Amino acid sequence: MDILEESGKKVVLLGNEAIVRGALEAGVGFVAAYPGTPSSEIPITFSRIAKKVGLYFEYSSNEKVAFEAAVGAAWSGVRALVSQKQFGLNVAADSIMPVAYAGVRAGLVIMVADDPQGWSSAQSEQDTRFYAKMFRMPMVEPSNPQECLEYTKIAFEISEKYQIPIFLRTTTKVSHSIGTVKLGELKKPNTKGKFVKDPDRFYNIQPHLQFLHDRLDKKIEEIEKEYGYKLNKIFLGEGKIGIIASGVSFEYVKEALQELGLNPPIAKIGLVHPISKEFISDFIKDKDIVLVLEELEPFIEEFVKQIAKDVNPKIIIHGKDMLPRSGEYNLEIIIPALEKIFNKKFIIDFKNHKEIVNSILKNIPPRKPVLCPGCPHRSTFYAVKKVYGKDTIYAGDIGCYVLGIYEPFNMQDYVISMGASVGIAHGINIVSDQETVAFVGDSTFFHASIPAIINCKFNNSKAPLVVILDNTVTAMTGHQPHPGSGFTGMGDKVEPIKIEEIIKAIGAEMRIANSFNQKQLIQALQELRKIDGLRVLISRGECRLLTTRKFREKGIEIPKFQIDKEKCTKCDICIRDFACPAIMKTIKNEETIYYIDLDMCTGCSVCMQICPEGAIHSIKKR
Amino acid sequence: MKYDVLLMGVGGTGVLTTQVIIARAANIEGYYVRGVQLHGLAQRGGIIPAFVRFGSENEVSSPGIMQANADLIIAFEQLEALRAIYYARKDKTIFIINNHPLIPVYSYVLNIHYPTMDEIIKRIEPFAKKIYVFNVSQLSRENFGNVVFGNVMLIGIATGLGVLKLKEESLHEAIKITSPREVENNIKAFELGLKLGKEKLHKDK
Repeated sequence: MDILEESGKKVVLLGNEAIVRGALEAGVGFVAAYPGTPSSEIPITFSRIAKKVGLYFEYSSNEKVAFEAAVGAAWSGVRALVSQKQFGLNVAADSIMPVAYAGVRAGLVIMVADDPQGWSSAQSEQDTRFYAKMFRMPMVEPSNPQECLEYTKIAFEISEKYQIPIFLRTTTKVSHSIGTVKLGELKKPNTKGKFVKDPDRFYNIQPHLQFLHDRLDKKIEEIEKEYGYKLNKIFLGEGKIGIIASGVSFEYVKEALQELGLNPPIAKIGLVHPISKEFISDFIKDKDIVLVLEELEPFIEEFVKQIAKDVNPKIIIHGKDMLPRSGEYNLEIIIPALEKIFNKKFIIDFKNHKEIVNSILKNIPPRKPVLCPGCPHRSTFYAVKKVYGKDTIYAGDIGCYVLGIYEPFNMQDYVISMGASVGIAHGINIVSDQETVAFVGDSTFFHASIPAIINCKFNNSKAPLVVILDNTVTAMTGHQPHPGSGFTGMGDKVEPIKIEEIIKAIGAEMRIANSFNQKQLIQALQELRKIDGLRVLISRGECRLLTTRKFREKGIEIPKFQIDKEKCTKCDICIRDFACPAIMKTIKNEETIYYIDLDMCTGCSVCMQICPEGAIHSIKKR
Repeated sequence: MKYDVLLMGVGGTGVLTTQVIIARAANIEGYYVRGVQLHGLAQRGGIIPAFVRFGSENEVSSPGIMQANADLIIAFEQLEALRAIYYARKDKTIFIINNHPLIPVYSYVLNIHYPTMDEIIKRIEPFAKKIYVFNVSQLSRENFGNVVFGNVMLIGIATGLGVLKLKEESLHEAIKITSPREVENNIKAFELGLKLGKEKLHKDK
């Protein structure tokens, strides 16, 4: 594996892998995470190497407990890292601020990945930098994989030196970009510590609180002084127009300026909180114009404007007035802004090129992500729709099953956050007589749905039908284990926690059905529909990607299905209503023929069950 | 110097492995490498544009390729070749297309015509310096019993045509470290592609 190569070697790493390497070079001993795109390769990589390098790694049931576990390790003197996506930080936030007050002993790095543009099917374009401001905590932001490695190491250094938890923030195009990385020395992880009682540090209650708050403010001031010039850099250039950039925007602007043949001075911000007033003042005091480049909110721009009032009130500050506040930046967004400011013309007219492209691409079919061939969720959606029809309110949640939002299912009427399907459905049930079905994934159930389901029972609403889609793993982010999977992030076997036992304890009416068995599903749904109060269907079927992978590893042949041309009446149900990507139709000699693409078929057999003509059957092995 | 390769594929079909092979080969030759890999939901049958850029460190920094600026577009699926014209322009971009249709289910569900190969080529022409078409999926199935080796074959073709300017030995090395379990077949597939590329180049001269 590249990330374990020896010091001095140059390898190509994903930003997230470089963060892992940086943590290893810092001697991290404890890592906890709940997976979430675009941060998932951090836990995936740690899970792969934990035993080999001798550190502790766990997949926690949610981000809050992951953070708390990491705090326990750091308080006991073991360097700890916790990793999550932006919304994961919202879940952990409740515990983070008090820990900022209390401080840490060994270094504690909180890795958080934002996702401008929402590549990860995100429900908002959250700019997590504001947490650093609200919590009075330091935050560093790398621009490329090499910096991912270096900044992770520096983050541990700052955290330990100032006894403060620290944010390491990336965006998708840093976490999911690849780049050449020069490796440093690996450090043997320290995994054993001791918790020492210390009322001065750990008593987050009055009258001690102001003391802790003041101490935190002092730490932040000192970090600004010490690291303002170490983590931010000025690149000298020509002229009175300057560029201020952070994160991946710095990578874009460097190349954009080169393309335009420009060489203005650039200030690169690596320490996004606290922003160094001195560093910014130095840079802007002799400039006529600056352009601030950062994805999402004008976080740095607003600081610069504040500082400019005292230092250089005449300066013109551009940023979100010229560039979008939503979505990602790229070269073709940044170059036109530079053209305007520097009064220069680039060789390509992006606008014109894009117009031509759009006109040509107008009428081609979209390729949105789909539920995989053989996905157990497709089968469950199909059965639920058959029993509940299209007017029922279908509450969506976070997981692969969010893809049920698209045609032909249209069965995610809202998707808000983990656990919100049931939480919101309960409110709808209290104020309206409409039927609701709330979908919950297995990992989501353990992460955030249990309190919501308990709340339905406790407050005795007519309660939604809760459909728990149990495919045995956290599928969407790459098949990580959860408390019900039966193995840990270290790869050790454990007793799986049974979802049905928890549902029983809550006291809900429950049925369990095999996701790949339409008859069972429909019978269970019909029975549950007649009952009042809280009802739960556990639809259980392993993620098909996992099943086919196991088949391949064990050398078992994956069963395949085919359509009998004689029996097929071209009713279109298998395509129009079921929409399995492996089922195709083509026109041969002016006749439409339905067929199954054997490269794509994973042998789940559900199409055979739903075909009203019995025209689909398995291909008999010879 | 900088060289921009765009791999256009469909989630779950091995696009990312192909990208890693090219990136590692470029790294072996001492180039500075940048690129983008999308993970997560995009891998569920969605569009996966994977960028690989290599060159000198002072010229390559953006992870993504600029609009209208790809040197080489390798399309694992023909419709995605068409979608890639956003990154292409007439005086610069070479296309290598696998003419193996993966018809998106929404083409049926929304009843939108999936264009034929001829229609696709006609629309790409104003954006392409040259278009090469090979059915690597079929070749892979004929030679190896399934379609997955088509990806490495495309790298071989690009190398044989002289449009992917990386050395055969560094690509061999990269294939070995990237897919240790299937080295033999992958090397065979690469060599087959290389041969096809060289033949095509010779014929065109």
